[in-house]
Parts: sequence; structure tokens; C-alpha cells
Amino acid sequence: MAIDKVAVIGAGLMGSGIAAHVANAGIDVVLLDIVPEGAKKRSELALGAVERMLKAEPAAFMEKRGAKRVACGNIEDDLALLAEADWIVEAVIERLDIKQAIYRMIDGVRKDGSIVSSNTSTIPCRELMAGMEESFQRDFLITHFFNPPRYMRLLEIVSGDRTRAEAVATISDFADRELGKGVVVCKDTPGFIANRIGTFWIQAAVVEAFKGDVTVEQADAAIGRALGIPKTGIFGLMDLVGIDLMPLVGKSLYDAVPSSDAYRALYGEPELIKKMIADGSIGRKGKGGFYRLNKDGGTPVKEVIDLATGEYSTALRPTPDSVRAAGSSPRALFEHGDAVSNFAWQVMSATLTYAADLIPEIADNVADVDDAMKLGYAWKQGPFELIDKIGAAWLAERLAVEGRDVPEFLKLAADKGGFYRVAEGRLQYLATDGGYVTVARAPGVLLLADVKRAGAPIHGNGSASLWDIGDGVACLEFHSKMNAIDPDTLAMIGQSVAAVGKDYKALVLHNEGSNYSVGVNLGLALFAINLAAWPMMEDMVKQGQDAFKALKFAPFPVVGAPSGMALGGGCESLLHCDAVQAHAESYVGLVEVGVGLIPGWGGCKEMLVRGLTDKRGGILGGGAMPVISKLFQTIGLAKVSRSAAQAFEMGYLRDTDRVTANRDRLLADAKARALELAENYRAPEPREINLPGKSARVALMMAVRGLAKTRKATKHDITVVDQLGIVLTGGKTDSTDAVSEDDLSALERRALATLARNPLTIARLEHMLETGKPLRN
Amino acid sequence: MQIYKAPLRDMRFVIHETLDAEQLSKLPGYEEATPDTIDAILEEGAKFCEDKLLPLNRVGDEAGCTYENGVVRTPPGFKQAYDEFVGAGWLSISSDPKYGGQGLPALMNFVIEEMVCSTNLAFGVCPLLSGGAAALIARHGSEAIKDTYLPHLADGSWSGTMCLTESHCGTDLGLIHTKAAPAGDGVYRISGSKMFISAGEHDLAENIIHLVLAKLPDAPEGVRGISLFLVPKINVKADGELGPRNGVSCGSIEKKMGIHGSATCVLNFDEAEGYLIGEAHKGLRCMFTMMNGARLGVGMQGLALGETAYQSATAYAKERRSGKSLAKGAKSADKADPIIVHPDVRNMLLTQRAHNEGARALAYWTALNLDISTHHPDAETRRDADELVQLMTPIIKAFLTDRGFEATNLAVQVHGGHGYIAEHGMEQLVRDARIAQLYEGANGIQALDLVGRKLGQNTGRLLRHFFHPATEFVAAHQDDETLKEIVLPLAKALGKLQQATLVIAQKGLGDPEEAAAVATDYLKMFGLVAVGYMWAMMAEKAAAKANGDADGDGRYYANKLKTARFYMYKLLPESAALFLRIMTGKAAIAQYDDEDF
Repeated sequence: MAIDKVAVIGAGLMGSGIAAHVANAGIDVVLLDIVPEGAKKRSELALGAVERMLKAEPAAFMEKRGAKRVACGNIEDDLALLAEADWIVEAVIERLDIKQAIYRMIDGVRKDGSIVSSNTSTIPCRELMAGMEESFQRDFLITHFFNPPRYMRLLEIVSGDRTRAEAVATISDFADRELGKGVVVCKDTPGFIANRIGTFWIQAAVVEAFKGDVTVEQADAAIGRALGIPKTGIFGLMDLVGIDLMPLVGKSLYDAVPSSDAYRALYGEPELIKKMIADGSIGRKGKGGFYRLNKDGGTPVKEVIDLATGEYSTALRPTPDSVRAAGSSPRALFEHGDAVSNFAWQVMSATLTYAADLIPEIADNVADVDDAMKLGYAWKQGPFELIDKIGAAWLAERLAVEGRDVPEFLKLAADKGGFYRVAEGRLQYLATDGGYVTVARAPGVLLLADVKRAGAPIHGNGSASLWDIGDGVACLEFHSKMNAIDPDTLAMIGQSVAAVGKDYKALVLHNEGSNYSVGVNLGLALFAINLAAWPMMEDMVKQGQDAFKALKFAPFPVVGAPSGMALGGGCESLLHCDAVQAHAESYVGLVEVGVGLIPGWGGCKEMLVRGLTDKRGGILGGGAMPVISKLFQTIGLAKVSRSAAQAFEMGYLRDTDRVTANRDRLLADAKARALELAENYRAPEPREINLPGKSARVALMMAVRGLAKTRKATKHDITVVDQLGIVLTGGKTDSTDAVSEDDLSALERRALATLARNPLTIARLEHMLETGKPLRN
Repeated sequence: MQIYKAPLRDMRFVIHETLDAEQLSKLPGYEEATPDTIDAILEEGAKFCEDKLLPLNRVGDEAGCTYENGVVRTPPGFKQAYDEFVGAGWLSISSDPKYGGQGLPALMNFVIEEMVCSTNLAFGVCPLLSGGAAALIARHGSEAIKDTYLPHLADGSWSGTMCLTESHCGTDLGLIHTKAAPAGDGVYRISGSKMFISAGEHDLAENIIHLVLAKLPDAPEGVRGISLFLVPKINVKADGELGPRNGVSCGSIEKKMGIHGSATCVLNFDEAEGYLIGEAHKGLRCMFTMMNGARLGVGMQGLALGETAYQSATAYAKERRSGKSLAKGAKSADKADPIIVHPDVRNMLLTQRAHNEGARALAYWTALNLDISTHHPDAETRRDADELVQLMTPIIKAFLTDRGFEATNLAVQVHGGHGYIAEHGMEQLVRDARIAQLYEGANGIQALDLVGRKLGQNTGRLLRHFFHPATEFVAAHQDDETLKEIVLPLAKALGKLQQATLVIAQKGLGDPEEAAAVATDYLKMFGLVAVGYMWAMMAEKAAAKANGDADGDGRYYANKLKTARFYMYKLLPESAALFLRIMTGKAAIAQYDDEDF
């Protein structure tokens, strides 16, 4: 069954977020809530929720017009709308009576075979279903999203005894392919997987921290990098999620878990937390939580609470000795032995043993548990991967030495050498029977990580590698820090073009880093500029232009497959591809102006050429000026798309480019696209365009000077966009001269050579590198 | 014979004509440092050093310091010279007037230091340390400490030391054992033993102020747990008068290769009273104030001895006769010509001279920036100047002491066998010069500081302050016909230095050993190019004035141009070899296992 229409009931944070994300997939969605007492508009809850979603940060909608796909209503007047829905999601308050009342309402109007799911995080499926019609039970399951639904990739699915297998398959497939979720099918146990372990973990940290040996800041520094946990730590995470939710989630888990469960012994709510909730100090959505911004003195000062006294003082952002010494090694962190190290050990050893004890209660398969924690809590490794990194035997030994119980499953792993192994190039996990089982990938999922496990690269250096991904397609992976592009990356592009031309049919540019590429290695560029090494800097510009040009004119198709940020040079690499298969969460932009430069690796050139010529190289009608003006704005304002959808609007993607919702499917989709293009492939011909020259540049700059008067543009903005204007208008040309692609490259180089020598550009570069923020000078 | 006349003409050329030091008198606080005042001071300083310190140099070397029952006596005449030196105010020339100093630019202090060390290096050690101690206290001490100690350090009645090294560690200070125990009222009890403490005990001043690194009981491991304490030899009472002896004593003094006139002491601290300077555990950072100043001072020692070596060797080469000139058309009636006619001898002399004059400009340029970094009204200008000083400090220290030592060796060579015997004083210069390559951070450490710390700092921003002006200078003058043969070799070497810098930075990121393996070569290359830049600047100034006036200043300027050419032809090319060495990286060094040595 296809899901063409969706309805969401409950326009709270989760319900409206789910509705927005369904709209992001291009699906029409109905969002209903109750009619509140004294309502001015009967559907004001849903309408208000969509308004909020439009302003949400990070953005809930991938493009503003997505909001138009959300039809707002209320359950008194608009229940009939549910009749058209293929999937109805309930996301109302966590009360069984209310949920069941809603289900009865739904069941009265829904069409046959439609699927109903609950977004509950705490109520078991069997309780939700108790007493419901059997036909309803067959169509019912739990779909547990994480907040915010657009960005958190985990979707936990729980089915009841009577749920149809096809219903589970349909929703799993839809969530996977259309919503881009990592679906983990869970058992009907309390808190399912992620919150079961996550809630325990947070509680363990609270209990341990309230013992008073570490400060809140030390605690958050401890549960951090060495363990692959986001830098918010635990108290920062509670501030983010909302401290008020903690007792609710905690209590419901307490009530639901078996009496022997370790969580019961740990459960409790410190007085200070009660008081904070009573005061409204519930985190970022309230007036601050464990951390707060004190704005009394003008400049905001980050403050942190003292768990013993409840007083706030200035946050110091310490790096404890053990954390510094540990670097990225969890074992080194545990072995250091100072108070912070001890805290980390107590919290993590309790959590990891808890996870090991929960197999097979909550899952049969450690890979599912690891996936859930990675996708739902943003851990870099799941608990079992983390145990392997620490060493299962080491962990079991230390627990034994401390006289603590060692979970049987952990003993088994210690004995066998870990929860995972690689056999014949394949990743396998340890099953409870002591055998290893290959981690299965769904059809249409191709992971570079799996390719890499299976063999050696065709070519590789410190910044990039070329891999054989089968069927005559190669994949060029960037893997420098932040995937910044440096001379090694460019050299590898050159090598790849040669290798693929000889032995392969097509090339895909893709990597599994959080960001495809943040662009040129600015540190290297600034270093060369500081050295006044102009010839070397200019060589690097030329080298980049040549590398990307080689991609463009290679005798085989090149498909870019970005996910996350594709900025500056990263964006320029995509502009030279025959096609782009973009992950829906792609943030694309030519941001050079922010650091006082302009796109110099063919970014200006490609944007001009694609704006002014048709597919066959013919000149498009309508004149160059409107295209140039739009580009001047897009590049001049360093616009970055906040989704792949927006990248089309901004012109970074063409209408022939495509989008994949699920990251795990991106490489396979790109590969398929590359093979499609490889049939009868003919490389493009270099184009010539006509540009208007100086008069147009003067016109562009008049508008900018107006901005400067109103202080919207700074002095250096003017200098930088003036250089941009020279390139975009073709330099010393007029509309009767043809300008070649190489002419445009030369203009880019000249503009960069000028800007790189400007002290204000140097100041921008330095500021960006030191603070991560652009300097407005 | 050790011959020295302060090269005042050269000093003035660098200070006034090349660096335009008049700009200093426009900085707030330096209004009095006009060119006339500067010249007058230099002349007085020259007289003092030539007349009082030079005659004591040989005496100090031969008599040395003596140790008896914890008491150290300096060589005959040193005490009187010291009294005259401090009495005339030479010690406090650039100290803060608020504490009895004369408030003149640090540049002046550099020049005086050069003259002092040219004439008597051993004598110069004590004032150098007093100046460093005063700078440290001025920057990091509390008001009370400053009020108590600075006036005495300025008038020379008390002297200073820096106590870092212990028997088991010098460079790696994280390993020190000396302890500090809090004794209440801001007092700490310092216990432990320090060695290689220059001027740690002597009879020149009535009190000695030791700045001592030690560890507090709760100190973290390693360099993050070092604190700095002020420990007077004689306790100072609340009224500022001297009280009883503190628990610090001199256990022995070292017998050593050179600087016999300066005592190198073992100091024993036995629950000595001390006062914390700066924050607990952050003492090393404070100590760096003193060390950085001292490193520049030691660099000047290298230059200073190079100058004396050149002057002495030149005098000898003009006098000593041996062999006939090979020059075409040279036909003197004498049986033998002065050896200065021989190309090899001239080459040696010019090697000394070209280095000395260029290095002097580099050192004074650095000193000028030191003054800008403390006195300029604009914060960014101050920061930029400070960063140039930071960049140049390891180069001044290591390059100038290496080349200074080489110059003293060349002086021995010019003297032949007479250089090897004590009578001419040349072997003393060699022995004295050798220490400068070792103390205040051995020269290998300076090289590591340059590549490991200075290169990458703020993504190479320190480098900007050298490379941008140098590149601009080259771009502005490479088409100038008269300067071409000077600027073009510099341009080439500068380009190679840029390339080497990039390669080291890139390789070093992945493998720090790659950077460490070429650090010394890189520092030398940087030194050669930096001095080359100074020569090009001096040549530009001289070219405008090198007119026909054959006897007066015209000749002086013409000679400047000649020496600049000599530098570019004969000394700078060494940078090309260093470049090749740098490009081969660590491979040839790393191929051995430790056991294979």
C-alpha cells in the first residue's frame, strides 16, 4: 500500500514536528487538535503549531512552502478528513484514556486498511490496544519519533500481537524511504530501546553528580569526546530536552520496568531538581536550567548551577586533567583515576552493564541497540560498540575486581573477543548463543563503511581515497578533517579521473562524514597568505580549477552525492558534476564572501554557464542581466540552503538533480544514477557565453552602495562583491565578445589574487578560523 | 690582542638611517629618546666599556671567581667596575622611572648590552639577569613586591637570578623536585637544590633576588604544576631594610670552559622564605617573561663577541706579514705583505663583518619592535610588534650565538697559531662564546620553539609580520638597477624560505618528528634570509648616499653596498643548501634504531 495522505492528531511539539516532516517528503498531511475553551479560531492549536514550526530553529520545514501541505483542523469539525488518510499518527498527551478515546473516534471515520500509529514513548502497545476492535488492532502500531522529528533519525516501531505484518512493512518502508528514518523495530518493552537506556544513563549521571565529587561542568566534560557523546554532555542535554520531562519519563519507566530492574534502585528525584522545575528553571525553553545565560551585565554570561547550593556562578568551561589526557580513548579516561574520571566510570559502567543485561529483553540484536542510541541520542558509538572500543574483557575484569556483577552476555563477549567482528570483509555481531551473525543491510542500502571494511582503496592519501563500489562504479571519498579540500584532495581528484577513465564506467563523489565538505582548507590558505606565498597560493587556486575541470570533462559521468554541508569548494565540486543525488539534509552554498574571498574553483563560472546556456550549449533567451543579478545576490550574500529542496531554489541544484531522503540509501541511489548516465555517455563541450562587462558591473555596484549607506553592507563587503561583480559580468568585455570557460577561470583567479592580499580579507579568514564565525569588517 | 672600539657609526646607521628610530621619540613615554640623546648615550656607553670593561676581560678569565665557605668572590676589579657601572645608571637605562629607572627605550639597553658583552661577557651576565628579574617582577609582581624590590634592582644595589635548572632536568622543567610549602601570611617555604645558576652568589651587590620555580603540595603533574617564587638571599624587613640571611646558600661553583668571571652556582634552598609571583601553578608562564628577554640578551652576546672577533682579527691581519699578494699588478717592495691581502683571509674577515652588521640590524629591529609592543598607543600595532618579537626571539638567540661562535673561531683562524695561545685573547673569545649557544634554552630548543610554537601560532600570523614587509620590499625594489644584484638573490632565498615553511607546516601537522628533524636547519635558513632582508634594506638606504665623497660618509655608504653584495654572494647561498636539507625531511635521521648508534 502506498502512503499518499497522512493525518496527525495532536499539534504539540512532536505532532506538529511529525506533520512538518511528512510535508517535507512532499506528502499532504492533516494536522488536528482539540478546540480549546474560548478559542477565537476553532483550529487555532494546529494553526499556531504550523506558525511555530515555520519559525523553529533548526527549521522544521525544508522549505517554507512545505507548510502549505499541512491542512490544519480540529477533531470536532474535521474528523472526516481522516477518511482520506492512509496513515494516521496519534501524538496526544501520554494518557491511556485519552488516547483510547481518540482511537475510537479515528476508527469511526478511517478508511479500511488505513494504518494508525501512536507516538507514545511510555505506554506499551498491548495496553493501548486493550479493549479495542480487532480490526483496529490489526492496523495499529507504535511509531516513536525523536525530537525534533526532522533531524533525529531514529524511528522506533513497535507492533502488537495482532498487528498485520504488512502494516509494519508499509510504515517502515515509508519512514525509511520517504522520511529518511533509521527504523528500529523494537519489542513492546518499557521505554523501548533508546529511552530505556538513555533514561537510565541520565539518571545514573544525576545520582552520581549529586554525590558532590564533580561539578556540573566537569560532569559534562567527562561524558563527552572520549566516549563519543555530543558535547552537551548530560546536564546540557537535559537543559535541551526540558528538565520538566525528566520526572515524567523517569516515573513512567519506574512503574513499567520489572521490579528487579536496575533502574528501580537508581530512580529518585533530587530536591534541587524539584525546586528548579517549580521555579521554571526547566532548561532552554524556560529561564535556563543547569546552565543559563545571565544577561544582567549587558554581554550575556554563561552561568552554571552548583548542585549543592543551587547558586549560579560563571561557567568556566574546564578541561579536566583526565579528559585532556584521555583524548579520544574511553579506557584512558576511566583509568586516569581523578574525580572526573571516576564519575565517568561510574556512570558509563552502570549504563553499559545495564545495556548488556537488557539483551534479549529489549532486543535480540546488539546492532539494533547500537543503532537506536546512535540515531536517537547522537552517540558516536552505541553501547556495545563502545564496550568493544573499551575492551569487553577489560570491562568485565574491572567490574569483577570491583566486586560487581558481570552480565552474562558481557562475559560471553569478553570470552569471544567482542560484540562485533569483521569476517571475510563483513561486519558481524555476537548473538546470545555465542555465534556471530552478519549485519544485514536492506536492499537499496549501500554503505561506504561496508565497502571499506571489505577491501583496500584503489588509490588513497591523507585527505581522500578512491573506492570500488561495484558494477564498474568508483567512489571518491573525502576524509580530511571536516572534509576540507586541500592539495592532497585535489591530487586525488586528478588520480581518480585517470583511474576511472581507464578501468571504470562512472565516478561518485560521496563520503559518510557529518558533512560532505566544508570547502577549501582555510587554515592552509591563511597560512600561505600569512607567508605572502602568493605564487603558491595562486598555484593552489589553479590546481583546484584544473581538478574540477577534469571532473567536468572526464570521459565518464560524475555524480555528486552530498549530505550535510557542501560549502565553498565543496559546493564547487558538485557544480562540476554531471548530476547530483543529494541527501535531503544537504546544506549547500558558496560562502566565500564571508571570509572576504569569492568562489575561485569554478563556482562563479559554473553558476554563470548553467544560468545562461541550455542543455545543448545554446544561449538562453531573456538576457544575461537577470541571471547575473540573482547570482550576484546568492553569492554576494553567501546564501546557504537549509535543505536540498532550498538548494534547487538557489540554483545550486538543477531540476535534473535528485534527492534521497535516507542517508543510508544515498550512495546506492547515486551509483544507480551514475550507471544510468553511463549508457552512451558523452562528455560536455566547453561553453562560451556573452557577458555585459563594465556597464553591468557599475549597475550592480550602485545597488550595493545603497546598502552600504544603510549599513547593511560593510566597507569590505563592497570591496569583495566588487571583485565578484567583475567576474560575473565578464571583466573587460562587452556583450558582443564571447567569453570562454577558461576566461572566466582566469577572472576568478585574478579576483582571488587581489582579495588575498587585502588585510581585511586576512582579518576575516583569521576570525573565521579562530571563532568559527564570520567577521563583519 | 682583544681590540674593540664600539662601532658607533654602524650603530647609528642602523638606528637612525635604517630603522628610523626617531619614531620612538614620538611614542608616549619615550619623548626624551631623540636621536641626539641616543647618540650621546651611546658615546658615553662606548667609553665606559672600552676603558673600564675591556681591560678587565683577560683578568676575569684568568683569575675567575673563587668560592670559600659559601662566599663567592668575583675577579679583582669587578666590584669596582660594577659600582661604577650601576652608579652611572647603565643598568637601569630602560627601566621604569617610577622605580628609579631612566625610562629610555629597550633598544638603548640592547645597544649598551652589546658593548658590555663585546668588552666583557662575564661581567655582562649579572646585569643581564638583574634586568630580566626586574622585567618579570614589573609584569607579574604585586604592588608591594614591586615597591620593595624594583628600586634596588634598578640601582644595582641588589641583583637578580633565575633558578630553573636542577641536577636532573634543565629543559624539561615538568620534572623539577623543588618544593614550596605554604607557611601562612603569603609566605612559602622553599626547599630543594638548583644548579647552573649564573650570578647565584657574588660580592657585587648587597642582596640577590632569586626567582625560583618550585611545586606546591597540590600541584598537578608536569609543566602545568609549576609555580614561581621570589626568594631573597637576605630577607627584607617590613620597613624595607635588610634583615637576617634567608635559607638559601651557595653550595659550590662550577669549573667551566668560559666566562670565568661569572660564577655558576649550585644553590641550596632550605625552607627559604619565598613569595608567590603570579598565580599558583602558572609560574612557567611568568618565567617566560624573563626567559624571552634573556634569550634576546644572549643573542646579543653572540653578536657582541663576533664584533670583537672581527675587530681583533682585522687589526692582526693588517699587521701580520706573510706571503705576497697574488693580485695582478700588486708589487710591493716588502718581503711579505700583510695577510689581509690574501683572499682567504679577507673572506674570513668579511664573513664576520657581513654577518655582524646584518645581525646587528636584525637585533635592533627586534628591539625597536619590543619598544613598539610596549609603548605604541594602538593595541593592534602593539600586538603585531609583540608577535614579531616572539617570532624573532628564537632566531636572535640561536642564529646570532651560532654565528657569533663561528666568528670567534674565524678570529682564531686568522691569527693562526697565535690564536690558539692565551696571549692574544682569541681562544678566550671562543670559550666565552660557547656558552651562549647553550644557556637560556640550547639552540636546538630554540629551533623547536620556532617550528613547534611560533610557526603555527594563530595559523601563521607571526610569520605575517616578517614575510609581508619582506615580500613587499622585494616587490618594490627588484627592478631597481642599482639594487638588483642584492634584491634578486634575496627574492630567491625568500621564496625558498616560504616554500620550506609551508612544507614543514604541512608535514609537521601529520608527523611532528618531520618538523623537529629539520628545525635547526630551518632556523638557520630563516636567520640567513632575515639578515639578508636587513642587508637589502641597508643597501637601499646606503645606495642613495653612496656618492663620490671618497673620504667621508660617501665611502662608508659605498662599503655598505659592497658588504651587502658580499653577503648576497657568499653567505646567503648557504640557505639554498639548507633548503635542500629541509626538503629531505626526517628520513635519513629516522632510519636508525637507537641500538644502531
